[in-house]
Parts: sequence; C-alpha cells; structure tokens
Amino acid sequence: MTDLDVRTEKIPAARAVDAMKTYGTGEASVHALAGVTVDFPRHGFTAIMGPSGSGKSTLMQCVAGLDRLTSGHVFIGTTAIDGLSKTDLTLLRRDRLGFIFQQYNLIPSLSAEENILLPLSLAGTKVDRAWFDEVVQTVGMQDRLKNLPSQLSGGQQQRVAVARALVPKPEIIFADEPTGALDSRTGTEILSFMRRAVDTTGQTIVMVTHDPHAASYADRVLFLADGQIVDEMDAPTTDRVLDRMKRFEG
Amino acid sequence: MFRLIISSVRHNRSRYTATLIAIITGVAFYAATGFVSDRVIDSLEGDVNRQYGNVDVAVVAEESASSTAVPATISGKQADALTALPGVEGSAGSLVGATGFVDAQGKPYATDAAGRLWITDDQLNPLQISSGRAPAKTGEIAVDRGLADRQKLKTGDQVTVLTLAGNQPATIVGITHFAKSDALDDGGTVSVPEAAAFDWLSNGHRVYQEYYLRGADPDALRTAAAKIAPTGFTALSGDEFRAEKRESVGSFGQVLKQALQAFAILALLVGGFVIYNTFTVIVAQRLRELAVLAAIGATGKQLKRSLRYEGLVIGLVGSILGVVAGLGLTFVLIGALTLFGVSLPGSGLVLTPSNVISGIFLGTIITVLSVMIPARRAARTEPIEAMRSAAVESVKLPVRRGVTAAVLGLLGLAAMLLGTNAGLIGLGVVLFVAAVLIGGPHIASIGARLARPLLSRFGIEGRLAVDNSVRNPKRTAATANALVIGVFLVTLVAVVGTTVKDFAVGQLATLQSADYLVISDGGTVDAAFVDKLSAVKDVEQVVPFQRQAVSVDSTPGALSTGDIAALRQVANIQVSSGSLDKLGPGTIAVPEDDKTPHRVGSTVTVTNDAGTSTDLRVVAVIGLSLDSGVIGNLVDQATFTSIEGDVAPTAAFVDTADGAQTETKEAIQTLADLRPDITVTPGNQLGQTLSTVFDFIINAVTGLLLMSVLVALIGIINTMSLSILERRRELGLLRIIGTTDDRVKRMIRLEAVLISLLGTLTGLVAGVIVSLCVTVSINRLTNVAITPHAPFIEIVVILVAGVVLGFVAALLPARRSTRMSPLEAVQAT
Repeated sequence: MTDLDVRTEKIPAARAVDAMKTYGTGEASVHALAGVTVDFPRHGFTAIMGPSGSGKSTLMQCVAGLDRLTSGHVFIGTTAIDGLSKTDLTLLRRDRLGFIFQQYNLIPSLSAEENILLPLSLAGTKVDRAWFDEVVQTVGMQDRLKNLPSQLSGGQQQRVAVARALVPKPEIIFADEPTGALDSRTGTEILSFMRRAVDTTGQTIVMVTHDPHAASYADRVLFLADGQIVDEMDAPTTDRVLDRMKRFEG
Repeated sequence: MFRLIISSVRHNRSRYTATLIAIITGVAFYAATGFVSDRVIDSLEGDVNRQYGNVDVAVVAEESASSTAVPATISGKQADALTALPGVEGSAGSLVGATGFVDAQGKPYATDAAGRLWITDDQLNPLQISSGRAPAKTGEIAVDRGLADRQKLKTGDQVTVLTLAGNQPATIVGITHFAKSDALDDGGTVSVPEAAAFDWLSNGHRVYQEYYLRGADPDALRTAAAKIAPTGFTALSGDEFRAEKRESVGSFGQVLKQALQAFAILALLVGGFVIYNTFTVIVAQRLRELAVLAAIGATGKQLKRSLRYEGLVIGLVGSILGVVAGLGLTFVLIGALTLFGVSLPGSGLVLTPSNVISGIFLGTIITVLSVMIPARRAARTEPIEAMRSAAVESVKLPVRRGVTAAVLGLLGLAAMLLGTNAGLIGLGVVLFVAAVLIGGPHIASIGARLARPLLSRFGIEGRLAVDNSVRNPKRTAATANALVIGVFLVTLVAVVGTTVKDFAVGQLATLQSADYLVISDGGTVDAAFVDKLSAVKDVEQVVPFQRQAVSVDSTPGALSTGDIAALRQVANIQVSSGSLDKLGPGTIAVPEDDKTPHRVGSTVTVTNDAGTSTDLRVVAVIGLSLDSGVIGNLVDQATFTSIEGDVAPTAAFVDTADGAQTETKEAIQTLADLRPDITVTPGNQLGQTLSTVFDFIINAVTGLLLMSVLVALIGIINTMSLSILERRRELGLLRIIGTTDDRVKRMIRLEAVLISLLGTLTGLVAGVIVSLCVTVSINRLTNVAITPHAPFIEIVVILVAGVVLGFVAALLPARRSTRMSPLEAVQAT
C-alpha cells in the first residue's frame, strides 16, 4: 500500500458537512435537512432510518449527487460535489457510484447480462470477466443471464439490480429501500448479498430503509428526525432498532 | 361521462395538442384549397353569367374542329342570314384577332393582347366601359383596365397598333372591363370598332368567329339558326353556350380544385394515421386509469364510448379550428401561386357553406374513425390490468399478420404484373400498399434489427434506440406509416411521372422535323417576310405554303399546297401508302385518320368555305407527324387554286443550319413580334413545352404531397414525446447511473431518425417497385417500349430528407427527455 492509499483509506467514502435542504421560502419553508454533518466510513454498511418526512431519503439523494443542497457540502472521497456541473455529476455517478432502487428499474429491452453491464457499457470500460462471473454466481443469476427483465420474478430482477451495482466496483453503493417491494425471504437474500459484498470485498454501502430487519444487516444505523441526526447505533439488531423506532412514535 | 371526457382532454393537454395539430393541418389545407378554387370558379363563372346573360342563341364552331386546322369563320353573308331570321331582336358577331403595340422606337409591347371587334348591341356586348367612351371609327380603340394599368395607357393616348393590316395609328378613347375581371383575354383586350376590325383583325373580308342572337322565342330561333349555320358550326341555346363558356373559363378552376382537393384529402388521411397512432398510445398509457374505471364497474361499451366521444370532441374542435386556419392559409396559397406566376382571378374570400361543412365533417369523421381501433382495445381492458406494472412490455408479433402481408403482397405483385386491364393493375397497387402497411410491424422489426450493427457504433444509446423501436414494432410501424404513404406517393409521382415525360418527349422528338413553323393567323406569309426570314443568319431555307380551312367528307381539316419537293425536304412528311409523285389535277394526299380511314384510290369530297364541293381521288396517305398535322391534306397548285382561288401562303417551314444559335432564334422571334398575326414555333418547342408542363405537374404534385410528409412529421414528434413519457423511469435510471443528458438526447434522436428512415425506405422501395411494375405493365398492354426512369437523384434527395425529418422530429422530444429531474422520473409510477 502506498502513502496515498493509506491516506485515502482514512478519508471517509462520503461525508456531508452542515447539509441543509430547504423547500419553499419564507414562512412556508420546510427544512428537509436542517444541518446534517455525517461521515460514511469506507468498507462500512450504513443504514439510514427515520419516520416518513424525516429527511432520510433527501440525505441519501444529496450525498449521491442526485439532488443539490441548499447550503453545506458533500464530499465523495476527496471530491466536493457541490460545485460540479450537471454533466460532471452524471459522470461522477457513472464512474464512482452505484444504485439499487425499490422498483428494480431495469431496462426492459436489455437482457439481464446487458443490464448488469450497462454502467460499464456507458463508461466504455472493459469488463473484468472473472469478477463479473463471481458476482453473478453470488446472486445466483448465472442461468438467467439471457433473460429479459419481463421474464424474471421481482426477486430475480432485484438480484440483477444488485449485480449491476456491484460489478463496476463503485466507491459507494446507494440503496433506496432495496427490499421494499420484495417478500421477506427474497428480501433477506438480497440483504445477505449486500452484507457479503461489504465483508468479502470491502464494498461501501449506504442504505435507506424503514425496515428494522433490513437495518440489522448494517454495521451502523443513523436515525433521522425532522432533518437532523438524532441517534446512531453500532452493531444493530432487529429488536434494538425496533425499540429505538418505537420511541419516535411515543 | 361527458365530464370525464372533458377532464381527460384537459389533463392530457400535451398529448391532445399533437392530435389537434394533425387534424388542423389536414382540415386547414383541405378547406383552403376549396376556398381558393371556389373563389376562382365563382369569379370566372359569375362573369360568364353576367356578361353573356342575354345571349339566346349562339352560333359557334363545333368542338371537333381540329385545332391545327385553319379556324373556320362565319362569312358576312351567312351572318346577315342569321340576323334576318324571324324573331331576332338583336345580333352580334364576335371576331378576335392578334394585336400588339409598338412604341416610338419601333419596339413591340403587349404582343399577346387580343383584338376584339367592339359589339355595339349593349345587351350582347360582354365588355363594359369603365371610363371614356366606346370606339366608333377607324383610328379609335379601347383597351381593358388591366392592360391600361400594366402599360400605363390612358384615354387620349396616341398609340401604334400592330395589326394584320400593318402598323396603324390609333387613339385610346375608352377603358373597358369584363364584369369583375379586367379582360376577357389573358394577354389583355383591345377593342376595335367595326369600321376597322375586319381589316385589322382579319383579311379585310367581313367574317365572324362566333355569332350571337337574342329574340323573344329562343327555342324557335335556335332551330332556325341551326338550319342555316355554316358547315362546322352549331347553334347552341343561351344556357348551353354559357355552360360551355363557363366550362372553358372555369375549367382551370375545376381542375385546380380537383387536383388540390385530391391531395388535401390525402393529407387528411395521413393525418388520420397520426390521430390513430396518438389515440393508440393514449389508450396504452391510460390502461391503468381505464382498468380502474373497469374495476369500479364501467362496462367495455362505456369505455369504448368514452374514447369515441373524446375523438368526436377533439375531431370537431380540431376541424373547426382547421377551417378557421384554412381561411388564413387561403391567402398564403394565393400568394404562393402568385409567386409561381399563376395569378388567380377573383378577389376576396368566397365562403361557400359546402366547403366549411365538408371540411368540418371530413375532419371529424376521420378523427372518429381513427379512434375506432384504439377504442376497441380500451373496451377489452380487464380490471386486473390496474394492478400490473405500467412498464412497456415487449409485444410479440403474430405470425399470422406476416403471412397475411406476404400473401397480399404477392397477390398485388401478380395483379400488377399480369393484370389485363387498368382496374386489375390498380387493384394490385392497392393490395401491395395494403400488404406493406399490414406487414409494417414486421418490416419495422426486421429493419431495426438490420440497423442494429450500424447504430451500435453510436454506443449503448444506439443499441437502446434500436431496442426501443423493436420493443413495440406495431407502434413504430404505425408512426412510420404516415411517412410510408407520403414517400410512396412522392416516389410514384417522381418515377412514373418522369418515365412518362421522358417517353412522351422522346416520341415527340421523333415526330418533329422542321426547325421552325411560321403561321400567320389572319394575315399572309408574304414574299417580303419570307425574304426577311431568309436573310437571318443560319436560316438555310424558308418554304412558304398555302393553307386554307376546308372540310373533307364533312370533317373539318386543312388543305395545303406549295413547292411539294421543297416541303418534303424541310418537313417530316412520310408517305405511308401511294406516292406524292402522282399528285396532279383531281387528286389529293390525305393524312392518316383512324376514325375514317382513306385508301389510295378512294374518292373524297372537299368542301370550301363557300360551300362548293369538289371530288378528288386519293393518291397517297401521309403518315402522322407534327408537320403533317399542320399541312393536313395536300394537293397540287392547280387543284388548290380551283378550290380556294388565288390565295397567298399563310404558313411556312423554316430550315436552319445544324447547331444554329440562340441569336437565330431571337432574330426570327423579333421578326414575328412585329407581325401580330405571325407566330413562330420552334421545331422542338412542343417537346419542350410538354416537358415543362410535365415538370410543373410533377413538381406541383410533389409539393402538395410534401404537405402530407409534414403531417407525418407531427406524427413522429407525437410518438416520440409519448414514448418518452412512457419510458421516463427508464430514462431516469439511465441518467442516475451515469448517462449524460447529451447521450440521452442522442438516443432519442437516433430513434427518431431510425423510425423516419424506416418509413422513408419502406415508402421508397414500395414506390419504386410499384412504379416499375406499372411501367412494365403499360409496355405489356399498349405495345410501346417505355424505358423506366431510374430516379437516382430523387432517391438520394428523399433519403436525405428522411434523415433530416427524423432529426427535426426529435428536436422537441429530445429537449423534453431531460427536462424532468432523474430522481422524479425514476420514482414516477
């Protein structure tokens, strides 16, 4: 490992500083994020939780370069993304980030394999075949690669989406309610793939969820309420998360 | 239900805008053509009714009189006999001759004006005095308003008139007009009083070309006039006469109307495809909404009805707006035609109810019909579809459809190539086109797959563009159909039109022989003029000949004589049987005539103007050529004199050196311009004229067809916009995982170009195939050898236009594709 690598290892994969996101102006303005400062450590699996309207999705979207902050800063590695142009932001997402959505969001006209390779095709990067095979084996889609999304079940489509996020080895994968549309068994499978990716290859994952079971797969849980981080929990379990969540309602 | 429709229209405004534009364009064009042609027809026909309203009986030349023959006339004696008929209250003869003017420097102007005998019977005179007074004695003339404006003439002006009797000094004493128009004649009307008319406009004898009578008992008068009408003339009732005049003056308007409206209807039909297409997509998109309605108890019938009413509302609104837009377009059309040198008579707008109603009716009907099929799809909506994912699924094409298309196509080809009459061949064309349209989805699917390797070179977005068009080949085909039809027709017109033009011009070229034909209308080709012509550089020989109107076995024709050996040298005279050497006293050479064939040895009766008949034996039959058409029947000098008396030559053939230059042509033309009676036709003129006419028709038709291509463009914009809306989640995802906006736009552009190219190529190929088949069949059925025209330039132009069209069509949708934030897009349901 060189000096530079050592240094980057210490820098968090992503970091938000005084992140503010305000909708509307004056009296009617709503603070979706009211000054959040948070680090997402490298090789970590972070879950963001909170009741509806707590700002958990907004936080993830702003950190992922999908939305812009009203004030404050977001860094991906050492790159401040606030000043990036729309195109540069798009290219940053393409080259350094990965995404998993609730609604799978595969391209219906492309086969499973083509969907998985889509980010690499867009970037024009050569495919690391061995790595591709390993990821496909892990998610168990090796026999369905030629199928179109319409020929796959919801769980299978989400496995393809996970593989699509993993194959380019992005610095961070952002997952927005990845198990929200799945039954619990399939959801658990998807979560274990993500966990394994963090444990075996050091993948960094940030996941927004409202499901305590899903959150229990993370290393750390951030609790948001009213646009602020109100709590953190390391080594979460389903029960502990559930308990913490109950306090929001109380 | 009605509220649902209204709110649906309101909430889907952008979708309906495109549909509306399609309807408005089609209806506006249809209405405008109607307005323009009605204005022309109304003006021309109205003028006829107003100006010839008092004519009860008209003695006019029979239509069969050949145009190349010398025009027959009514002699003074015959005219007097008509006037003397019992019950005649007024009479007038019409005489029109060529005139022109020459200025102080000897330069001629207004040489295409017509000189008219001024009719003194007020009720029968079609012209009216605008200012000044009627011309009364020799040396006085009146000119029409338009001519006066163009040439800056006013009453009191001294002018020199070019007449058959040479240059004549005259004073303009009056300005005339013809009802709402300026003049009766295209080039202007010069009115000449009776005292001078027969000298100036004819050969000095009192003759008329038409004769009008009015009287208390028109029927009796007509019967009486018919009995004494000269040979080749017929007596028409006032109504018949006016109908004929209307037809001749109004025919331009009628032809204009039919031609324009044929294409207007075409534009409407192409618009129909666009409307159909839009509604299909709207139904597909609203499937969820429709399914919810079905789930809460709306029956299929109600769903179908709701869509039909939507079509009705949109169709009605669009059609009414279209007619209004048509009013504006009318002025644009008139302006455009004026730019092309076609000035239309009439003024203001003629708002005939039939135009307004038919425009609204046709537009609405086509819209409602276009909605039928999508409405049936809506009726089949199952409630369960409300639960399904809204993602656009791939559509599998039924094999049945492909088989149907193939069978129809083969049947069409067979009918076109083997059909024994025009009907069968036409049916073949229809079948073939139907096959192309039915097989469209297959063509789209195969075509897009073939294009994949090419488009893949544009990267992943090229790949996706192909995949999108293959995903729903039915819709791709429906979008392209409008273009297919437009391009098909453009190609057909270009190829068949050019083929026929080349053939006709080629045929004429082989017919032609003399370099120039000089004809004096009313005057003579005298020795002095022949000398002047002969003196022109590069003119090698001038052969004048005598030519008079006669009837041969009661068929009007020309009788000619001259230096027969010299004529045969300069003109194309082919003897098909017999021999011209035997031409002598009592014999005649007749032209070939399919209807009443003459044989060598038979006898024909030649009757002159005065009614004297002479029997002549046929010694030769002359094959048909342009020159022989001018000559007509040929006799020797002595025979001619015995029939017609001693008359001067009225025509001449001119032979010029090979490669004679423009200056020769101009010199000859200048000589002719100074003699108003003389017209010069270059030998290849007919071919050129015909070629120009064909070119004009081909261009005009193509221009009109481009209208339908424009409507097709709207269709592509429409489909692309809707498809972007449908795929917004996909597009959103692509952008989130790193597709830059430029690449998304490029993908949309590539898809639009692909659809547009597919449509263009399909139309082009179908057009070329049908053109070739039709040409081959014309050759087969008519025993001629037409060489099919290879329209390479047209093909390249059309293809380039197709690509450009695709780019243009993608402009708006491409911009729209990246307007939504990717996050919103990906979360859209």
